Amino acid sequence: MATPTKYPTEALKCWPKAKELRQQYYKDYASAHDRGGIRWSGGAWAFDAVPMGLGDDVHVMTGEPYAASIAFDRKFAQECQDATDARGWARDLCSYMRIYWGSMYLNRFFFGGEFPKPDFYYQTQICCSHAKWDQEASLYEKVPFYCIDVCVGPYETLTEERLNYVVKQLHDSIEGMEKTTGRKYDDEKLIAAVHNECRSTSLWAEICTLNKAIPAPLDEKTMFSLYVLNTLQRSSKQIGDFYEELRDEVKDRVARGIAAVPYERCRIITDTQPPWGFLKIYRYMEQFGVVSVGSLYTFGLEGIFGEQEDGSWGPRKTPQQLGIKIKTRDEALRITADWNLSRPQWQHFYDPAIKTRMMLRIVNEWKLNGVILHLNRGCEGLTVGSSENRLGLIKAGVPVMTYEGNMADEKEFDERRTTSRIESFMETLGLEQIPGAVAAQAAS
Amino acid sequence: MIKAGIDVGAKTIKVVLMEDGKIRAKAKVLSGFDQEESAKEALEQALKEAGLSREAIGSIVTTGNGRKAISYASGDVTEPRAAALGAVFLYPSVRTVIDIGAEESRAIKCDSSGKVLDFAVNEKCAAGSGAFTEAMARALEVPLEEMGPLSLKATQSIPMNAQCAVFAESEVISLIHSKTQKADIARAVHDGLSSRVVAMVRRVGLDPELVLIGGVAHNPGFVESFKRTVGIDDVRTAEEPEFVSAIGAALAVGK
Amino acid sequence: MVEKFKEWYVNRHTYAKQWKEQTGGKIIGTFCTYVPEEILVAAKMLPARILGSHEPQDVTEPHIFGMFCPFCRDALAQGLKGRFNYLDGVVLAHSCIHFRQTFNSWRIHLPVEFSYYIPMPNTVQTPHARSYHRVEVENFKKAIEEYTGRPITEQHLDRGIEILNRNRRLLRKVYECRKLDNPPLTGEEAMYMAVTSQFIDKEEHSNVLEAVLKELPERKLPRDSGIRLMAVGSENDDAEFFKMVESVGSTVVIDEQCAGSRYFWNESVPNGDRLAAIANRYLDRPPCPVKDYPAHSRFQHVLNLAKDYRAQGAIIMQEKFCDPHEGDNPRLKKFLEENGIPTLSLEFDSTNPLGPFRIRVEAFLETIRGEELF
Repeated sequence: MATPTKYPTEALKCWPKAKELRQQYYKDYASAHDRGGIRWSGGAWAFDAVPMGLGDDVHVMTGEPYAASIAFDRKFAQECQDATDARGWARDLCSYMRIYWGSMYLNRFFFGGEFPKPDFYYQTQICCSHAKWDQEASLYEKVPFYCIDVCVGPYETLTEERLNYVVKQLHDSIEGMEKTTGRKYDDEKLIAAVHNECRSTSLWAEICTLNKAIPAPLDEKTMFSLYVLNTLQRSSKQIGDFYEELRDEVKDRVARGIAAVPYERCRIITDTQPPWGFLKIYRYMEQFGVVSVGSLYTFGLEGIFGEQEDGSWGPRKTPQQLGIKIKTRDEALRITADWNLSRPQWQHFYDPAIKTRMMLRIVNEWKLNGVILHLNRGCEGLTVGSSENRLGLIKAGVPVMTYEGNMADEKEFDERRTTSRIESFMETLGLEQIPGAVAAQAAS
Repeated sequence: MIKAGIDVGAKTIKVVLMEDGKIRAKAKVLSGFDQEESAKEALEQALKEAGLSREAIGSIVTTGNGRKAISYASGDVTEPRAAALGAVFLYPSVRTVIDIGAEESRAIKCDSSGKVLDFAVNEKCAAGSGAFTEAMARALEVPLEEMGPLSLKATQSIPMNAQCAVFAESEVISLIHSKTQKADIARAVHDGLSSRVVAMVRRVGLDPELVLIGGVAHNPGFVESFKRTVGIDDVRTAEEPEFVSAIGAALAVGK
Repeated sequence: MVEKFKEWYVNRHTYAKQWKEQTGGKIIGTFCTYVPEEILVAAKMLPARILGSHEPQDVTEPHIFGMFCPFCRDALAQGLKGRFNYLDGVVLAHSCIHFRQTFNSWRIHLPVEFSYYIPMPNTVQTPHARSYHRVEVENFKKAIEEYTGRPITEQHLDRGIEILNRNRRLLRKVYECRKLDNPPLTGEEAMYMAVTSQFIDKEEHSNVLEAVLKELPERKLPRDSGIRLMAVGSENDDAEFFKMVESVGSTVVIDEQCAGSRYFWNESVPNGDRLAAIANRYLDRPPCPVKDYPAHSRFQHVLNLAKDYRAQGAIIMQEKFCDPHEGDNPRLKKFLEENGIPTLSLEFDSTNPLGPFRIRVEAFLETIRGEELF
């Protein structure tokens, strides 16, 4: 058979910066009180711009990336889950939640020292488990819990009243936080944070859109370490600055035809969080010349998309790009509410057909050959409707493979069986392992 | 030129020797702890049956859960592929292959050339494999090979309420204590197993052109229960169901 | 007359088809008790909650991933097996993730004329939820009006509200009887009464309840009521289970679960604005853990019920994989025990191994009896 094309590859220049930003983030959170600052914890999709109005020294630690970090340390991850199990919590609950609680119960911070107690919890109510997560955490830590309810249906049916419901709650939360922290809220800081949030998430969407190029400049395994910054604090200017740098670098890679996977000959997307302790399955797929260019999760959890002039999918234009000046608190809250409600990774909570449409769009525009769905037992929120997504993709003629696993609880992931299944899927796609790719991986 | 196919299963190792598209010999041994050794033993048995020496073998292709454990193999193929190739070789009209092994079961949708189009494997929550029947046979204190014939003597269908194999065992014991006939319990066990298998098959679509393969297809109780669950009277069962994947491996162009 | 409820329960599909023939009305399937049924009844429709059949099934694998609760899959199985072919429409009010899948799979694969999704607040205990939910209830009313081609007037709404309220009132009255030392009805019978109101015409149902209420004062059960138990659920209409529990020396005198008291506990309170009254009723009802925010009032409600009905113990029926209840139960268990109510936790599936469950229930009752001795 013909020798597959080998594309040039290069390491990402801004890779070390991403790592640095992440490490600093956790340091800042842990030491916030030492410097008289505020720290809060909550979901990666909490309205993180809003607490920013409390000052320049507001630090956050979002629960999901924290738990995902722990998932890489399989021993500590098990200890955390055991601690949670010991308190009678069911084992099929969200595995991020079980790990976070475990770290809290054990009073051990993954990055060293004691578990830093937040001043309050700030969360968004869309996933049944997330809401319980912070309800329990706030009861345990005895701190206030602000839960913004966004159960208003999909973005495509958003009305004035639905938006207002969210905005009013955001207003109330500001009053609540002022009381809790004793600080005077600064609307200018909120406005800046909202601009930053839109910028960071639009930039990430732009970066994902650049992955339409063949060969793909980025592979999903790499993207995990990059998109995570938005899950930490998308309303931070630093993070937006980083994405600008990254975007420019990726544009350059596209211009010069630099690939993420040297033998790229088959493009796929995956779905939901990967089994964090076993990202090697992505490297295994590369041996067949398969690149995962992303997923609705990697793209749309912290990337905000919109229809472009040519009808294709790309980054949503930010208020600044549209020349909108935010003047008041209410305007800022309305913009952040609308912006977040358009999040692609929230739509399937209402109707799997919306997600199937988006996935098919990605299949077409990113030129894919197949889809691998992770049936993630650790996250009911993101697996909602995935069986119907599968049927929808199959109906449209897209090859689909599924495998069961758990993003953070390794007891529910069988590496051998999953690799075997991937191999079978490769067979159905007519792909065999590329000797050059196998050898290169063995050498590195 | 002899092509050898070895199915390195969890419980047993099956070997098939093929020449010019015909089966020359077959052998089966227990896997034991050393799969490589046991596979060698099985290979030697098959060679003896065919009256051939090792040198006559042109290629050895493995499949099954231990397929990568055989160092002297020339290549290996995945279980779905081996099952589909073997099934279509024996029954050219087959398009759905249902493979029920000791520890894993799978449903494969294939085309006329034996190419795998889609497949499903039993997932955590639906343990639908031979191990289930084995555990229940122990609870009933009935030899495994008698479970099938016993279930055919049932006079009523009672539902197996426990969805989890561990609870199912206590449920069997409760049924025994409440003086339920063993035959009826045996049928309930098979119904539980076939329900889970059918649920899995529905993921790839239930095509009437199907065949049951794998060790559990030997179990007449399971086959009868499967027929009732899918509502098809005429369900094709491979004649020597446990060898089908080894045949497929022999036919595969290994890597 | 008490037997009538069991008959309805077992023959619900025959009943529904006959209802349709006799009235020419539409039947709308609901999956969750947060659907504002007053609107459907006002439009002369029959709201019919879609429950499971407690049989092993193999048809939902392609549609709902196995790690979602067995109940939502059992409910979908009924549709896939054609048992609900008489439904004209399906409606869901935003509640748990599990049932959203049942609803969505239903409207993708099963033919219905009408389907509607009601976005509903989860943080029901905030003031903004009230004005917002009223809007959604109004939207729902408009959708029903468009479907039927007929307006729903204030008189219709009043009628809908009164029919629902009357049924709730009567069920509460029946439940009151269970406070007695020797309750004149078993938990199993009460279960049939409560759950059938979720899919039988409420006026018919209320009429039978009234007849039963006349009988109850004279009714003496030929059994020893034994230990008084509370059943705390997810959703539970496993009649065999209740029967078993009550056959080993106990009576279930009260429940806090979705197929039971949570459904009918509070009436809607008139406040001049009918739609607001309806919306508020659903916001104020005993919450499902999905909607118990931010005040988290469920635990106190459960304890109050236990005290009012003098429950000596509580069986916590945890539906397997139901995250919202799993997110409450460890704390709820502790809370009840700290307040003098011992608990037994059992994990439920759509079919349950009664043998092993029986052993646990008997042991639980023994410890309660043992404590009484000292």
